[in-house]
Amino acid sequence: MSIIASRGVVDRQANFYGGVRNLLAAAVYAFILIPTLIVIPISLGGQGELSFPPRVWTFELYGQLFSSTSWMTSILQSVKVAVITTLASMLIGIPASYGLVRFEFPGKKFVMLLLMSPILVPVIVISLGLYLYLSRLQIVGTTAGLVASHTAYVVPFMMMTVMAGVKKLDPALEFAATIMGASRLTVFFKVVLPQLRPSLLAGALFAFLVSFDEVVIAWFLTSPATTTLPVKMYSSIQWDISPVIAAVSALLTVLSVVFCLISVMFQPQAATDSAP
Amino acid sequence: MNARNEGWLYVGPATLFLFLVMLVPLAYVVYTSVTTASGDFSLASYQRLLSSDLFKRTLLTTFQISIVASLASLVLGYPIALHLAKQTPRKRALYMVLVLVPFWTSILVKSYAFTVLLGRVGLVNQFLSFMAGSSVQLPMLFNRFGVMVGMTNYLIPFIVFPVLASLLAIDQSLYRASEIMGAKPPRIFFRITFPLSLPGVAAGVLSTTVMSMGFFVIPALLGGRQDVMMSNLVDFYTRETMDWNMASAIGVILLGIVTLVAIAADQAKRFGSRPGVPA
Repeated sequence: MSIIASRGVVDRQANFYGGVRNLLAAAVYAFILIPTLIVIPISLGGQGELSFPPRVWTFELYGQLFSSTSWMTSILQSVKVAVITTLASMLIGIPASYGLVRFEFPGKKFVMLLLMSPILVPVIVISLGLYLYLSRLQIVGTTAGLVASHTAYVVPFMMMTVMAGVKKLDPALEFAATIMGASRLTVFFKVVLPQLRPSLLAGALFAFLVSFDEVVIAWFLTSPATTTLPVKMYSSIQWDISPVIAAVSALLTVLSVVFCLISVMFQPQAATDSAP
Repeated sequence: MNARNEGWLYVGPATLFLFLVMLVPLAYVVYTSVTTASGDFSLASYQRLLSSDLFKRTLLTTFQISIVASLASLVLGYPIALHLAKQTPRKRALYMVLVLVPFWTSILVKSYAFTVLLGRVGLVNQFLSFMAGSSVQLPMLFNRFGVMVGMTNYLIPFIVFPVLASLLAIDQSLYRASEIMGAKPPRIFFRITFPLSLPGVAAGVLSTTVMSMGFFVIPALLGGRQDVMMSNLVDFYTRETMDWNMASAIGVILLGIVTLVAIAADQAKRFGSRPGVPA
């Protein structure tokens, strides 16, 4: 009898503390989600109307965005830079991920440190270095200079995803193919890459989004003719907060939701047990 | 098969590319910081920095903001990690989306949202005015408060991931044992959950501190003149005064500080992952 009674007390206490924990968690979920999501209703309020919820619902800001040459040019420029960056970083990053996981070779530690350095070094120092270096080579402000810089910058982000994928592969398959007479190239393209498809997709998405959203390097390396979307947003927020920026932000939020859902769908375990 | 060098076949192109586009530019920053405009060796930029009040104040501000923002994001991020850890794997994947969406969202979208939310006639002040029944215009933007809110908001996911990993590694039978022995929830939290999550907490706090030291966009857009951080000073010297030597010297100092913290973090990790602590 007394055991049952005290069991009830324990449960009530557990419920109480569980409730407090959930309440705290709900408040923080709201705190991190509100800035991301609130740009959607703001973008539908029209003309930089700062009331919430909007008094009128309109797509006027989107009309303004799509008819503004300067915004559309910067969006296209960002897409162009991000697409080329993604392809280039896959070209060098995928073999590198495979090589680092599968082989031991002299200088491996140095290679690892070098390839991960864009994540470890503060991005402002990278930007300054690239700015000085590209000024010296007289290609600062060009799209080519920005693409090369972004490619180096996103390589580790892509490699983290691909290396995790390679680690899960069974080396016996590659070994079997080699014994059967397949060349290194055949093994890589016919055995390794097809198995890696989900990690490659996730890595490519990651690389695209990192480049598409990157602002500091682009702020240093672009000229008015090669401005990317984040740089345009940065100067717009700093100087003249044009209401169009609400529409841009809402579109970017939708983009990140879509990317997030895709990455969760393709990596069910990664989303729960480890950081992306 | 020459396995000793086969690895280089795969890592070679990436290594060469990053050598040219990452290592050489970084070395160039170091070189620029210790030479004069004419190319002679000189430590003049460091001497000028150390006697500059602007630099000293910025260094102090950077440390203050980074440490406070990192601790604030720990305090706020921990309940989320705890909440996620208590869910079934299926539900956890679902709630995880709530952390991943802000994680994937551009920092400029969030900064813009905060200028709308925190302004003098922003949504938060409108809401407070509505609640108070009189006009409230708290200054929350272009000051330290705005920077802190923006940075904490940005850093929370970077706390949640490592802390969650630590929490999930805790042996569930410890909880059952402590409950059977009659421990109450607060005691279980402070004697089991929190101590065993310390490796994740340390990893999260150190990495967010290092990240915040290099923050650029948030102090520039949400802070005022008193909240200039090291990155903004680099930008100022590079683009406003064109003093590349000074900019490089600040860059080298920032890189040095970040490297020291990272080495400390690595040592702490080794210490924390000794046998006996669930990894």
